[in-house]
Amino acid sequence: MSKSDEKDELLQGTLDLLVLKTLARRSRHGYDIAESIQQNSGDVLQVEEGALYPALHRLELRGLLASEWGLSENNRRAKYYRLTAAGRKQLAKETEYWSRISAAIGRVLQAT
Amino acid sequence: MISEWLSSIRLRLRALAKSRQLDRDLQDEMAFHLAMRERKLHEHGADAEEARYAANRAFGNVVRIREKTRTLWTFRWLEELAQDMRYAGRSLRHSPALASVVVLSLALGIGANTAIFSLMDAVMLRLLPVQHPEQLVRVERQFAKAGAPITGSFTNPLWEALRDRQNVFSGVFAWGSSFFDLAQGGEVQNANGIFVSGDYFSTLGIQPAAGRLLNATDDRRGCAPLAVLSYGFWESHFGTAANVLGQTITLNRHPFQIIGVSAPGFYGVDVGTKFDIAVPVCSATIFDGQRSRIDQRSWWWLSIIGRVKPGLTPGQVKSGLAAISPAVMRAALPQDWPSKEQEHFLQIQLATVPAATGTSFLRNSFAEPLNILMAIVALVLLIACANIASLMLARATARNKELAIRKALGASRWRLIRQLLTESVLLSILGALLGLLLARWGSALLVRDLSAGRRIVSLDLSLDSRVMGFTAAVAIFTGILVGLLPALRSTGVSLTEAMKGSNVVSEEGRARFRAGKWIVASQIALCLVLLIGGGLLLRSFVKLTTLDLGFDRSNVLLVRTNFKTVKIPAAQQEATYDEIGRRLRALPGVVSESRSIMSPISSFVWNSILHADSNMAPTGDEAVAYFNFITPDYFATMRSPLLRGRNFTEGDTKDSPPVAVVNEALARKFYPGMDALGRHFRVDPEPGQPTPLVEIVGIVKDAKYQSPREDTYPTAFFPITQMPPDPGLGRTYELRTAMPPMSLASTVQNTVAGVSKEIPLEFETLSAQVDDSLVQERLLAKLSGFFGALALLLAMIGLYGVLSYLVTQRQTEFGIRMALGAQPHSILRLVMRDLVTILGIGVAAGIGIALATVTLLQKMLFGLAPRDAETIVIAVCLLSVLAIIAGAIPARRAARVDPMVAIRYE
Repeated sequence: MSKSDEKDELLQGTLDLLVLKTLARRSRHGYDIAESIQQNSGDVLQVEEGALYPALHRLELRGLLASEWGLSENNRRAKYYRLTAAGRKQLAKETEYWSRISAAIGRVLQAT
Repeated sequence: MISEWLSSIRLRLRALAKSRQLDRDLQDEMAFHLAMRERKLHEHGADAEEARYAANRAFGNVVRIREKTRTLWTFRWLEELAQDMRYAGRSLRHSPALASVVVLSLALGIGANTAIFSLMDAVMLRLLPVQHPEQLVRVERQFAKAGAPITGSFTNPLWEALRDRQNVFSGVFAWGSSFFDLAQGGEVQNANGIFVSGDYFSTLGIQPAAGRLLNATDDRRGCAPLAVLSYGFWESHFGTAANVLGQTITLNRHPFQIIGVSAPGFYGVDVGTKFDIAVPVCSATIFDGQRSRIDQRSWWWLSIIGRVKPGLTPGQVKSGLAAISPAVMRAALPQDWPSKEQEHFLQIQLATVPAATGTSFLRNSFAEPLNILMAIVALVLLIACANIASLMLARATARNKELAIRKALGASRWRLIRQLLTESVLLSILGALLGLLLARWGSALLVRDLSAGRRIVSLDLSLDSRVMGFTAAVAIFTGILVGLLPALRSTGVSLTEAMKGSNVVSEEGRARFRAGKWIVASQIALCLVLLIGGGLLLRSFVKLTTLDLGFDRSNVLLVRTNFKTVKIPAAQQEATYDEIGRRLRALPGVVSESRSIMSPISSFVWNSILHADSNMAPTGDEAVAYFNFITPDYFATMRSPLLRGRNFTEGDTKDSPPVAVVNEALARKFYPGMDALGRHFRVDPEPGQPTPLVEIVGIVKDAKYQSPREDTYPTAFFPITQMPPDPGLGRTYELRTAMPPMSLASTVQNTVAGVSKEIPLEFETLSAQVDDSLVQERLLAKLSGFFGALALLLAMIGLYGVLSYLVTQRQTEFGIRMALGAQPHSILRLVMRDLVTILGIGVAAGIGIALATVTLLQKMLFGLAPRDAETIVIAVCLLSVLAIIAGAIPARRAARVDPMVAIRYE
């Protein structure tokens, strides 16, 4: 396939983590997820909206997310995602990994 | 990880079932997102149209993202495979001739492989159709001496001692096979019988199909004559009639009551023989009378299988049996053996070998022939593959343009290779399906070739997962083998070159021809290997069949009989035999008649140690000689010339001095460098029996005793009148006839019935008896000859094809050459030079491979060294002559090219 795939792959790990974190408290639909990530990062992280959906579906296929169709706040049909037990486990694992890596990078940067 | 994978497969399958739903959901989901974004932008002040554009921009290419998301839900490789299969099917329909040639040759190749493999599977690999066969082990006797033979035969006293002492088996049984004559007299009707101990059926877990099976209480000394039929026998002899229970069946003239039928599909534990009738071990007394094998301590007729107690390790079984071995041996010690032998006997250890696949006489005699055949058919398949590969290569050229277009439209090379491989694998799968049919027919035919005389081989050849798996693996392997080279070559073509679509002899064309050349050269090499191997086997067989056996096998009818089951007083038996002989001699068509206790090359052996009055004679185990007891006309009937001394006469009777005629081999062995005539020897005494001094009165020409392959056994012939009394032995009449021997059988039967209707008779010709001893050799010779010819044919087609291709490729060049004044014969020489190069490389490689591998045939050869130069020369000449003929056709066509046509063709 085309080259843009590879960029997605690069971001995927991070995006997956953010999606899982966003869904930790309650279930949300795709738009909500994108908005939430953007807000909680203080508008630093712009989710590439198009990339969000393949990521969501991939996580669903892996059994980390489950989905159901419901009504949105403005009474439209929307697909809601929530974390499964496996997803929660994965979130914990990835959060731990991420903090370890970022702490390590932080130490390296401060060393000089 | 695995659970993730499983959940994804489950979800995908669900999506596959509702693919339309999936499409709509994806559309809705993304439309919702866009609507929300649009509303938010609108609320922040953008006008409606601007908001929609901005939302779309932020999202990206909606259709592409939807497609990408959708493919996550599908089995992409599977869909592409289906696509490839459809395409392959279509392109094969476009070239039906090519497809059918390919499928047919693959069917032959794969079919041959499957046939041999399913035979191997049936003989060696198949588990017994009984409960938990993996728990079964066979008990064997292991001698203390290192390197001494391990045997699985037991006497009844040994079996009983083992049965009563063992504590490692949850069930254990003994069985021995035998032939039962179902007829009341006259020509024998043999059925395969087994003597089984009481726990035979229960240990194996076999259920009755009707009535009940034999159990432990049926197998006690002095038991009633009860019989269980196999399902197959019940079907073939009684049409599964229910009223068979309680009926009697006569086995060797003794009535047995039928109490039940064993489950369908159960044929006993001897692979290759299906039992017909099972009787308890104790009933051997009924057949044997006074000296029953039940109490004989040197009559080895039983085999033992046990079911290991659950939880016992092989080590525990071994030590358990080792612990009881001394007691078992002591209990069954043959009292009449010399003390040294007894000592050895007491040291025998009981051991076990796995018996999940049962036992089989076929494993010893056919393991090696089957391995050789497997190698032969594998070679044939490789040669067929080479042919198909070069066909596909030529076809790929014709498809260059198509492939180039697909490439130009963006197909990756890998995708194209996959497409082409799908095609060739599809072809090979079709070939394999057809091959399976051929194999079923072929292996049934082969089983018939394994049978010899009354030993009819029957094997379970039903398809099992192993055979199916083997065939599938071969099909896929050949598909890839056949398709890979053409696929790699044709997809590596440069676009511009292919689009031109010209027939110019380009670099591409030359490269492809080089590949074709290599393929054919390797084909010739493989073919030569096959021809040399096949030639060796064939010539060995011819040598064996044309060997001077020391007697004339043609036109001799053998009539076997036995008075054991006939009510003739012992004192009158010899006179009755004489009387029958007199009447047979008088029959029209009988040239001469003789009688002996055995005919040559039968499975019967009588040997003993000789003590000769010669100080050069071997002693101990080396001094074994082989015996036969005959009437005076024996040598004349067999046409074995007496070289010196005298023949037996009427004057050699029970009361006259003992005499013998010996063969040259015996004279050479026991009396090296001296005259054996007039010398004396004694036969090693049987316990309690006096052995008289025997005088050698004649020397007869060497003749084979047990097998045409043997180094002629030292043999002593005695007058039948001087035979030690043994009521159990039968007689064989040898009738030399002036007509086809078998046509005399019914006359003989009527004549013998005139003496007594009770006398059982078995007919065979001497030449058939000799043939039956060469089953393996004939099988190998026949099949290697057949496959050698097939390989030769395939290789010649390959050679012809490649040279034809070359000639077409170079047509323009030839045209120009001729226009410039080249003579036809120089063009001919050009083509033939290619042919000779290919042939030369192939033959050199073939000889190399053959020299390195033919020694594997050593054991199967007779009268030939594996690297027999004559065979190699014959094979090379045959191959070369045929190759030149196959190549000459396209070469002559090249030489006849009309220059104008050839040039204009462009």
